[in-house]
Amino acid sequence: MEEKKDREYFKKLAHQLMFDLSDEEADSLVREFGTLEGQMALLDAVNTDGVEEMIYPFEAETAFVRKDEVSNVITQDEAMANVDKKIEGHFVLPKVVK
Amino acid sequence: MIAEMAADKNGAEKRVKEAYAKAQEYQSKFNDVITFVDPEEQLKDLPAEGLMRGVPVVLKDNVNTKGIRTTAGSRILSTYVPVYDAEIVEKLRKAGAVYIAKSSMDELAMGGTNLTCFTGPAYNPWDTRRMTGGSSGGSAALVASGVVPMAIGSDTGDSVRKPASFCGIVGVKPTYGRISRYGIIQYASSLDHVGYFTRSIEDACVTLKVLAGRDDRDMTSSNREVPDYSALLNSDMHGRKIAVLGNVIKNISNQETVKMFNDLMDQLRAKGAQVDVYDFDENLMRAILPAYFIIANCEATSNDSNLDGIRFGVREDGEDMAEIMTNSRTKGFGPLIRRRFVIGSYGLFEENQERIFRKAQKVRRVVVNAMNDCLKEYDAIIAPASGNIAPLINANEDQDALSDENLIAENYMAMGNFSGYPSITVPMGFEEGCPIGVNITCRAFEETTMFDVAKAVEEITGYKDLQAEVK
Repeated sequence: MEEKKDREYFKKLAHQLMFDLSDEEADSLVREFGTLEGQMALLDAVNTDGVEEMIYPFEAETAFVRKDEVSNVITQDEAMANVDKKIEGHFVLPKVVK
Repeated sequence: MIAEMAADKNGAEKRVKEAYAKAQEYQSKFNDVITFVDPEEQLKDLPAEGLMRGVPVVLKDNVNTKGIRTTAGSRILSTYVPVYDAEIVEKLRKAGAVYIAKSSMDELAMGGTNLTCFTGPAYNPWDTRRMTGGSSGGSAALVASGVVPMAIGSDTGDSVRKPASFCGIVGVKPTYGRISRYGIIQYASSLDHVGYFTRSIEDACVTLKVLAGRDDRDMTSSNREVPDYSALLNSDMHGRKIAVLGNVIKNISNQETVKMFNDLMDQLRAKGAQVDVYDFDENLMRAILPAYFIIANCEATSNDSNLDGIRFGVREDGEDMAEIMTNSRTKGFGPLIRRRFVIGSYGLFEENQERIFRKAQKVRRVVVNAMNDCLKEYDAIIAPASGNIAPLINANEDQDALSDENLIAENYMAMGNFSGYPSITVPMGFEEGCPIGVNITCRAFEETTMFDVAKAVEEITGYKDLQAEVK
């Protein structure tokens, strides 16, 4: 049986995405979900039998194998420049084993 | 205007500093800037020549700028300082442009109102009770108020072309792959385009010449040569065939807008164009917004999973790594973003993917096939960019989300993102003292045709270098 799309359902889903929703926000999602179902019905009204998914606008290949030359290098300091908590080039996180 | 500015070499410093001062002066009125950028260093570094030498410009705040805070309008990135420049920043600097500000935008470019930026709403220069539209609303306001002649935006659904309509300026979304997206904070990669605002078609031509071109760092970037758009500009409409999107006209309830548009079409005919009404399948038109909403949210929830507060951005405390991420993402994202991520994630569940995400991608192809059928016969597709002027910020949202007016008349422009075809909004007229625009879409890489038709519209309306009078 399909799970009920209620406040708790969306809170659980949000938690899997690593954030929380307030009661009000989850209720708002319940309402939006009704609209989404309406939107799905509009998609179903379009016959897509035998149609391939369109992933990107153009199928033309523009990628290539670049030469094995060093380019666009950043230093370790630059790579870590936006890390809030760090020590000697390492991310600082709480202990996993306590 | 840009060409004249670039030619006036001695006036560069004064002009840029005046624009910088003006942006600061207007900030209390329009709240359209997130970060001001002191132009002093860039002025010392101006090239001797350049198509934009000494021209003040603005960047939407999802454009990475080395050493300058780049927030994408989100609290979670409010401390993020990039260590590299986006490709378009390098191109603009090489052409001599000087960026003076990073502009307000809807959080992570999701939204069409510019009300969701973590620094608050941007206000429309024509009427500050009204929204600018979004997501590139800050850039639109800075061009519309005359601070700069060009500002960068990005367009995933209509995020340049809708604010252009609401702010009475030119908004360009070129062909997908025409401008590199390297260094642009992504929203939905298969739909994201770099776009920009100007106040004239001539300036739009110069700008695309500067921004366009192959970049090996963006795998979707095109190898096609970049034409000299300014030299090729030709507003003669004889022999041009233009298709009016009949579905859009039929579903606009505001007859003032319909009349304004029909009058414009008569004048295009008088200039020599063949203008016919062309109807798409109505069910297909209704499916554009739903397909867009699903594809965009599904791609966004995946793209933005790197925003965890640990590698960059604002980090909140927690007992363990999972709690740090959860707290950082809860406080870092606004409610709209979190709700959209949930919907996107739902569409990507294994059991839903075929029914929701894949279905939307198939509908996308059917829409593009229909556009191709139309553009086999016609050089351009045209329709009002919105049925009405910019909504009041405090207006109650009473429009039915599933009404044909909302689905078709107000949200059809995402077809330009589905197809990647070039699309432009140009001012068309005024209602209650506020502007409203017309949108033109052409075949892939036919920006020259797009500019030609847009120039013809500009000549008819006389709305060249239109700007709001700031009181």
